[in-house]
Amino acid sequence: MNRDRSGMQRLETTIGEVLRFGTITSSTMFAIGLVMTVVGYQPAAAQLLLATGLVILLATPPARVVVSVIEYVREQDWTFVLLTGIVLLALAGSVVAAYF
Amino acid sequence: MNLLNPLTAPLALIIFGAGAVAGALGVALGLGGGIFLVPFLTLVLGFPLKSAAAISLATVIATSSAVTAQRAGNQLINLRVGMVLEAATTVGSLLGGITAQLVAESVLRRLFGVVAIAVAAVVLGRVNKRNVILDPMVDPGRLGGRFYDEESHGIVSYRVKRLPLALFASFIAGNVSSLLGIGGGIIKVPVLNAWCGMPLRAAAATSALMIGVTATGGAIIYYGRGDLQPLLAAPAVLGVQVGSWAGARLAYGASVKWLKVLMAAILVIVAVLMFLRSNP
Repeated sequence: MNRDRSGMQRLETTIGEVLRFGTITSSTMFAIGLVMTVVGYQPAAAQLLLATGLVILLATPPARVVVSVIEYVREQDWTFVLLTGIVLLALAGSVVAAYF
Repeated sequence: MNLLNPLTAPLALIIFGAGAVAGALGVALGLGGGIFLVPFLTLVLGFPLKSAAAISLATVIATSSAVTAQRAGNQLINLRVGMVLEAATTVGSLLGGITAQLVAESVLRRLFGVVAIAVAAVVLGRVNKRNVILDPMVDPGRLGGRFYDEESHGIVSYRVKRLPLALFASFIAGNVSSLLGIGGGIIKVPVLNAWCGMPLRAAAATSALMIGVTATGGAIIYYGRGDLQPLLAAPAVLGVQVGSWAGARLAYGASVKWLKVLMAAILVIVAVLMFLRSNP
């Protein structure tokens, strides 16, 4: 139980870091890209920034799930490996539904 | 779908402002901002509902990530419950996202109207509601949790009951999230609190964790189908971030009773407009 708790703490901290990184990076790219678009400076670069920011935003929650899968494998908690695996499969299903 | 480009400075400002207001209201009322942002984008700016939903989902992801990053480590988020229920919400959001591509705009609008009425009812029902009272000595078990509650200045323990019901509510919430561009917390939080034994703050924090990955399931589909444009999502996301930040500072401690009644009234008007404008 004790080992379990510390694993959960560690996972929560890592998840927090992943989410913070994704939020700050995407918001910064959005802010710079928007200002560039509005003032008409380097439109192609601005579009690239906005598009990249959006992809990072969309990739952040899945990245958090991947981190969780890794932690549960490490703890050999197979029930949660299965559950987080289902989440990843459903997200993969969204990618398939989006492009095929 | 060419009506949205090029992005003019005024349009970007309007979307940013709408996001800020929606984000602040969302925080003040304990809802996501999507339930306000989507109708603004469709009914006022004339975006197709699919575009509005896609933009709103991007803001839901940003809010979820920001809020969860901030809360990580304070025990309020129940990671285990979150991961269990996410298996249901993401499957729901995949199905909802596919469905959204198949049904007509008018159907989506009517569905939004129905959900807006339901949300209004939940908001009104909560006006005088207090938290579920819990036994502090309970053994949390495998799925339950324990956290320090700032309001009562004590440790709160809880067990999670009726897991199948929570899974079902999460599955429905995932569907609705993708179809209409809202987070779905409005469905999960009341169920988790009233029927599954979770304290309101833990239910809300856990739901905030889940809505990010749920919204991503839908947003990926909209993105791939060309309904999610970075140029429009960016000002909305920034607006909601700013609005939620401001809302969290303004709403704390203030009485939001009148605000709830006002917002419920607005949601009813939104519902009526969605129905009236669902016939092309």
